[in-house]
Amino acid sequence: MIHHHPAAELLIDLASGRLSWGMALIVRTHLDGCADCREQVRMLEAVGGNLLNDATPAPLDPQALVRTLTAIDALHPAHRPASRSTAASAHARRPLGSPLPSLPDGMQWPRSLRHCRIGPWRWLGPGMRMSRIRPPAGVTANTFLLRIGAGRPLAMHSHRGIELTQILYGHFNDGRATFGPGDFDATDAQIHHQPVVDSEGECLCVAAVDGRIVFDGAIARTFGRMIGL
Amino acid sequence: MSADQWTQHLIAVGRDQDRRAFAALFRHFAPRLKTWLIRTGSDERLAEDLMQDTWINVWRRAAQFDPQRAGVATWIFTIARNLRVDHHRRHSQATTVDLDDADEPADDSPDLETTMLGQEREARVRAALAQLPEAQRNVLQLSFFEEQPHARICAELGIPLGTVKSRVRLAVAHLRRLLDDLES
Repeated sequence: MIHHHPAAELLIDLASGRLSWGMALIVRTHLDGCADCREQVRMLEAVGGNLLNDATPAPLDPQALVRTLTAIDALHPAHRPASRSTAASAHARRPLGSPLPSLPDGMQWPRSLRHCRIGPWRWLGPGMRMSRIRPPAGVTANTFLLRIGAGRPLAMHSHRGIELTQILYGHFNDGRATFGPGDFDATDAQIHHQPVVDSEGECLCVAAVDGRIVFDGAIARTFGRMIGL
Repeated sequence: MSADQWTQHLIAVGRDQDRRAFAALFRHFAPRLKTWLIRTGSDERLAEDLMQDTWINVWRRAAQFDPQRAGVATWIFTIARNLRVDHHRRHSQATTVDLDDADEPADDSPDLETTMLGQEREARVRAALAQLPEAQRNVLQLSFFEEQPHARICAELGIPLGTVKSRVRLAVAHLRRLLDDLES
């Protein structure tokens, strides 16, 4: 049962193409497991389509249609309608890094993460490890997997920008609420929190940060700087 | 022209490479797409480029268009959106977007719980938008058609920036309720 969903304005940002790669990845990971939010995004995309249909037309370059048809004529025959498969180019763009580790209990990685490549796991504190998700070539993003051991607290921190988190397994409580598998959390500069993982088992999250995370305490700050958070 | 006729046109492009159908779609949607691109921050030149890329992709992918998944306007909107996203993320000209890579809906099989056809959804959303109070419709309009929507909503509605998010949430929740009423 999912209790925490992305807010409507975040889903609009996704539907209208306003989210950065990292932010979009976290929201998409939530959508993978949440039929209700998927349906809401489809609705919002249909809002976009209807608004497009009703928009005031802008004057076009008079040659626009001719130029487009000329460009279409110049397409390789394989790119005519009915062709598909851009797998080769997708492969060429795949960033370096390792594939995702396997998950316990036969769990599957959410579809949006499945093809991600990650960097080495780094020690972040007792029972805490993180690994960066490599963005596609030419894209900058601060996106990472976070693995926190049972009963462990994450260092007290706040954010200069926005942090989006999707819980893949395990539970944590940050004093505001308990978050479990499938839950989504968005925190901004106003929230200063210390998530504590449930004593039952470890917790795996995927998170993205726009702006920096600010840890309390010199040691945590040093670690934060070392790993580029 | 009705939504159903646009669907027939797009299917004809995919099935028969029908250029007249393509031109009809282009004449209606291309000038509107350009408006959207300019309002969301593209200059004249970039708007024309992204628009042309969109239409090349409409041509290439027309055979994959599935009215079960989306209405024509929604389908064209998502192609343009993905190209714009791709452009801004890479800061370089891109002519195509990988289907697997872009902000396409993550799933291509219909959910068990969503039986509504894409085409039907577009029509219902249209009806629901028409019933929405003007101020709320305006909030959605600005959310999609502005580069800095929250600042514009704040200015146009004369409300503090801190209350913009709740206005957006109210508008979306109201739209969902109207859609639920249309379904039952």
